[in-house]
Amino acid sequence: MPAPRNFAQPAARRAWTRELLGLDLRDETKWDALTRELFAWQFAHVPAYRRLCAAHGITPQRFPSWRDLPAVPQQLFKREKLFSHKSLRPSVTYETSGTTTGEPGRQYLLDTSVYRILSVEGAQRAGFFQGAPRLHFLVPSPADAPHSSLSAMFGFWQKAAKQPASFWMHQNRFELSAFRRTLLEQIKTHRPIAICGTAFSFVHLLDAWAELPPLRLPRGSRALETGGFKGRSREISKPELYAQLGRLFSLPDRDIWNEYGMSELSSQAYARGTRGLHEVPPWARVLVCDPATGREVCLGQRGLVRWIDLANIDSVLALQTLDLAERTPRGFRLIGRLSRTEPRGCSLGIEDMITAETRESAPPLQIA
Amino acid sequence: MTLQQRLDLLARAHPRLFPRAELLRLVHSQLGHVDALDTWIRRDGISVRARTPRLIYHVCAGNLAVSAFTSLAHGLLLGARNVVKLPSEREDSTARREILAFIRSLPVPLRKLVETHSTLDEALFREADVIVAFGSDATLAQLRTRTRPDQKFIAHGHAVSLLWIAEPDRLTSRQARACATDVLTYDQLGCLSPQAIYVPPGTAIAMLGDKLARALESHWKQIRLKPARPLSVAARITEVRDVAHALGHRVWLPSGRHLGWTIIHDPNPFFTPSPLHGVIYLRQVSLARLPHALASVAERVSTVGIAGRLSLPWEKAFLSLGVSRFCAAGRMQFPPLTWHHDGRPTLADLVTWIDRESSP
Repeated sequence: MPAPRNFAQPAARRAWTRELLGLDLRDETKWDALTRELFAWQFAHVPAYRRLCAAHGITPQRFPSWRDLPAVPQQLFKREKLFSHKSLRPSVTYETSGTTTGEPGRQYLLDTSVYRILSVEGAQRAGFFQGAPRLHFLVPSPADAPHSSLSAMFGFWQKAAKQPASFWMHQNRFELSAFRRTLLEQIKTHRPIAICGTAFSFVHLLDAWAELPPLRLPRGSRALETGGFKGRSREISKPELYAQLGRLFSLPDRDIWNEYGMSELSSQAYARGTRGLHEVPPWARVLVCDPATGREVCLGQRGLVRWIDLANIDSVLALQTLDLAERTPRGFRLIGRLSRTEPRGCSLGIEDMITAETRESAPPLQIA
Repeated sequence: MTLQQRLDLLARAHPRLFPRAELLRLVHSQLGHVDALDTWIRRDGISVRARTPRLIYHVCAGNLAVSAFTSLAHGLLLGARNVVKLPSEREDSTARREILAFIRSLPVPLRKLVETHSTLDEALFREADVIVAFGSDATLAQLRTRTRPDQKFIAHGHAVSLLWIAEPDRLTSRQARACATDVLTYDQLGCLSPQAIYVPPGTAIAMLGDKLARALESHWKQIRLKPARPLSVAARITEVRDVAHALGHRVWLPSGRHLGWTIIHDPNPFFTPSPLHGVIYLRQVSLARLPHALASVAERVSTVGIAGRLSLPWEKAFLSLGVSRFCAAGRMQFPPLTWHHDGRPTLADLVTWIDRESSP
């Protein structure tokens, strides 16, 4: 097997990005070669990943298939710096919310070039930018939230957009009045609009506008929700959220999208509508696995989502989540996050030790 | 029906769980006399008689049924009306089914004293003289807000337990088996289940881990009805294993990597909860650092199981952390019925007393 390229070099990163952009979904040979190359690089340069692989008996020389790649638990990002360029300084650090266990996980990127290009291209290929909608983001801007990978991604979308795009949250304050005025103006132009935010930001929006008349967004408009509620709003079910968003914006269920991504990854999956299946771009794959065996479950069965993300060159390409999904012939059906809380009764668990601290660390949103 | 008659019925129905001699010891030690509920008894120069609460409301935890059995047994001994709020049905817990099976197995005169509810019955909760609740601190705090000022509220909140191996390099096979019993009984789900094994510095960890691993595997093989490992449990176990591997911690796994048990040597002495289900942390700590290492669970340490001899300085150090029970390794999950749960007299807590002083 040839030595992997040096993923720290800008030229190599550019070439890798080009290869990923040119990857054909059906080209198993190319996928396999790229996976082996990135794995060899990360095995050599991320000690924690090397140790995990060794424990599973997998090395670049002993690597039957990409399906056998040991996947790093998301939890490890809270405990260890997983960065494949030891002697270099990361230019960006993205942090997870830390809602579940208090401590945030951290994803270190040497630079954002790969993430920028592929996060825009991923959304493009999923069809989210079809019709060149005017973009509205209900999250802080990248300047306000420099450690948020979601804000960063929306920032990349903003820069790549052919139409005006705006962030409506500044210093933890929703500028909903100004947002509504802008929407009302834009509706008159009959050009499509796309409103993107976290599930909890949409709940705040629904609550704030509960007494106001619904808006009739132009044809071809869409909403995109991502992330959970993270203890920052009342929680409502996905069907209920979609139904309420549909009523508020006059959108059919199919025009409400879900973006499934995370700080620890550089690629995203997209689904449309309440029952929509998630699909990933050609440079990423998702396995739905049985944690007991580590193997993929059969079609129609439930398991945990495992990502293989070839865009994740600066940390690890294989990530094991606690997200529950059903394996389908095409894509996967995301069911939700596996609860970390179990019936511990009187037995103290980690969640009980951090609950108070976490709740305090999430400030309530203000609405303007 | 007298206390003595109810005691006999209970002991006959469940002789292993509630041996008659132990029940009698419990009644004697906490009420003074087996007739204390049924007649006047002389104590400290006066006549006294215990009064049974009319209604005891038991809020059961979802992790383990055995705490509900004991709580219910106390109420039955006293002849109270017992209302049981059952835990909800979950794929990773059999507690609800076991509690229902226990109630069904009671002799009719005792079973008549029990009724079960799946949700909290506000009216009965308010009516109860005593509430005995097991669960998370958050659940208990929430329940407490619903109580009347004159209601007795006996809360058994979060606790952790530990094993202490005094001389690990001389650990006998028998002691290792005893440790395995503590770890694997009830799938490690109760607050009496050890979440960590502490050993003094300088321990030959590799040798100790091997010994414990053999004992755990042997114990696991003997478990006839092995605990289930649904997806959620399997996920937690594999996650903690993989994190430990990646951090470079020494991990002992069963051959074939089944999910029955896991030992992780974490070089950090600070206590962190285990995901349970047979996952035990092995930690080294010096006497001087013990209070610091366990500071996060101070006043929440229920039981310390001891393999070997607990020296006085170590005993003092554990006591300073609020430990309420020491026992021999292998006995952690089997406290006597006279055990002071959370340091309290479980049966005596439920009754009130009537005094009859002699005429001057």
